[in-house]
Amino acid sequence: MIEVKNINHTFLLGKKQKETALHVLKNISFSVEEGDILAITGKSGSGKSTLLNIIGGFMKPTEGSVMINETNVTNFNEGEFANFRLDNIGFIFQNFQLIPSMTAFENVELPLVFKGIPEKERKEWTTQTLAKVGLSDYHHHYPSELSGGQQQRVSIARTLVIKPPIILADEPTGSLDSETEQEILQLLRSLNKEMNITFLIITHDEEVARIASKKIHMLDGVVVKEEINS
Amino acid sequence: MKFKDQWRFVRSNMKRSKSRVFMTVLATAMGVTFLIVLASVGFGLQKTFVNDIIHDRAVTQIQIHGIDTNDDYALITDKEIEELEQIDKVKAVTRQRNLAQIPAYHLDNYETFAETVVTDFPSEFEAGMELTEGALPDSPYEVVVGSDFAGTLYQADVAEDEDLYNEEGVLKDKYAYADSLVGEKIDMTVEKGEGDEIEEHTIELTITGVVQPPAREWIQDQYMYISDDLLRDIETFTGTPRGANIDPDYPKSTEELTGYNNVNVFAHSLEDVQEISEQLSEKNYLSYSAANELKEINVIFTVAKAGLIFIGTIAIIIASIGIYNTMTMAVTERTPDIGIMKALGAHPKKIKQIFLLESSYIGLLGAVIGTIVAYILSILLNLGIPFIIESVFNNELPEGFQFSSIPFSLIAISTVICLIVTIISGLKPAKRATQVDVLKAMRREI
Repeated sequence: MIEVKNINHTFLLGKKQKETALHVLKNISFSVEEGDILAITGKSGSGKSTLLNIIGGFMKPTEGSVMINETNVTNFNEGEFANFRLDNIGFIFQNFQLIPSMTAFENVELPLVFKGIPEKERKEWTTQTLAKVGLSDYHHHYPSELSGGQQQRVSIARTLVIKPPIILADEPTGSLDSETEQEILQLLRSLNKEMNITFLIITHDEEVARIASKKIHMLDGVVVKEEINS
Repeated sequence: MKFKDQWRFVRSNMKRSKSRVFMTVLATAMGVTFLIVLASVGFGLQKTFVNDIIHDRAVTQIQIHGIDTNDDYALITDKEIEELEQIDKVKAVTRQRNLAQIPAYHLDNYETFAETVVTDFPSEFEAGMELTEGALPDSPYEVVVGSDFAGTLYQADVAEDEDLYNEEGVLKDKYAYADSLVGEKIDMTVEKGEGDEIEEHTIELTITGVVQPPAREWIQDQYMYISDDLLRDIETFTGTPRGANIDPDYPKSTEELTGYNNVNVFAHSLEDVQEISEQLSEKNYLSYSAANELKEINVIFTVAKAGLIFIGTIAIIIASIGIYNTMTMAVTERTPDIGIMKALGAHPKKIKQIFLLESSYIGLLGAVIGTIVAYILSILLNLGIPFIIESVFNNELPEGFQFSSIPFSLIAISTVICLIVTIISGLKPAKRATQVDVLKAMRREI
């Protein structure tokens, strides 16, 4: 499903001509199978976020390749990646990344608008997806009128609405209290089971990593440990 | 992403910054108003000048003043008329000559002395001579009269001490002829000889029609129009060309009297006038046509209008700085939203289209509002300028004077200029929107 091969990434820091190179990813290789939940753990600065950015197409690696659904996406331009994302990848962000001027319904509907789905179907799918995450009564609420957990549910609904085979999640419970965290983790687990969605989750929270079928631990840009949860 | 959805985005975005969008639209509208009103003065004055030129002249008419014969000038005679009629694309050649004496006319107990014009009625008919009533003559003793001919008839059997005219020198109503002249019999009296040897010849004529009045109110048409056949009758009586009652020993008179005073060539259409004029020039005819004059005036006004439109465009360009500023602010404010949209799969092209649509919409709104305001200003100018000139400078403007005119072409030109300028000014901010870095826009790395 996802195959990361020999990824190296270097940031050039400082003024031009006087840059210093910072090697943040060193020869990273791993694969994720369909229906897996992969948790990438590690301390801050270990390179896990950079890795997710590369897989999500927001950055290009200095070296190496990324194959998603047997498509080499490494050299996609921005437009090509945009189209690819719409069909294949959903994102869940730590701070939800909802558009504040749009209601919950409009936020969830947004990816369908980009896909050019007819309005009638769009409304139907959005309503169904909001019901799935338990927010049927919050269609017309703006993000500022929702709790953190509800905002993350809207964010998950926005991801689910395009029925992506892969979801990349960055600290999905990082901004939530422990009770809400459990609710969201429960939701992710059920989506994985019911819809066979493949998850790649970045976290430093062991609670989150516990729902994963496979774990990768990173330290200073290197994969130091891989383990499969029973 | 469908156009309808892009449009929804634009409207929702514009609602979020109403006052800024309003000020930008206002600036654009002011620019468009300035352009249209400025150029409308060129259009209005051109219209006034053109109307003045073609006021009482058909645009297909070419006046022939004579023929240039080796640095000498000669009147047009029947020989040249034949040649003129042979020219390609000529519809008709009208010719008129004045009777060389002023006959007396009697209608019942009314009389007048009127200048008499000999004309070729078939060619006048071809050229489209228009009558207010009656029809053109079709026999030698039938005539038509000018629109003001009736006004010259006065009652003949009035006592000598009675004054026919009022203090302003106008014929008193009770002595003026008030009925229609069409169908009336009128006696024409021509004479020959001098002193005691004067001999008179009276011919009974029937008036069949009255010629349409000249377009300019200050021109009076008091002529009697007669046919060539009637002229020959008069010439037989006087024994001189054009019925002149002259001294037979006066050497030049006969020669002067053989030509036509007024010759006009009519083309089938305005487009043919230029070609006919060129042929006339080659054949040494001295000619003038309103169409040729119009062409020169139109060239001058086209240059003037282009200059005015250019100056007006500068106003729109200045307004476009506002659009650029507004769009740049919009991109900056919406950077996080753009980042989220890109992360969700919005194609950069679509994001660019949304911002271009927004700047175009501002431009279109400005053009529509600017055009409406320009129309109102144009009406006010046309009402106000004559009033100001009359009250301040004590000068009266000519009839039909138009200071400002807004044809559809001017609206189309200004709208196109406005849209081009606003789209160009929105291009850079739109491009900037596509270049928004997703990670930076979301303010944190994922």
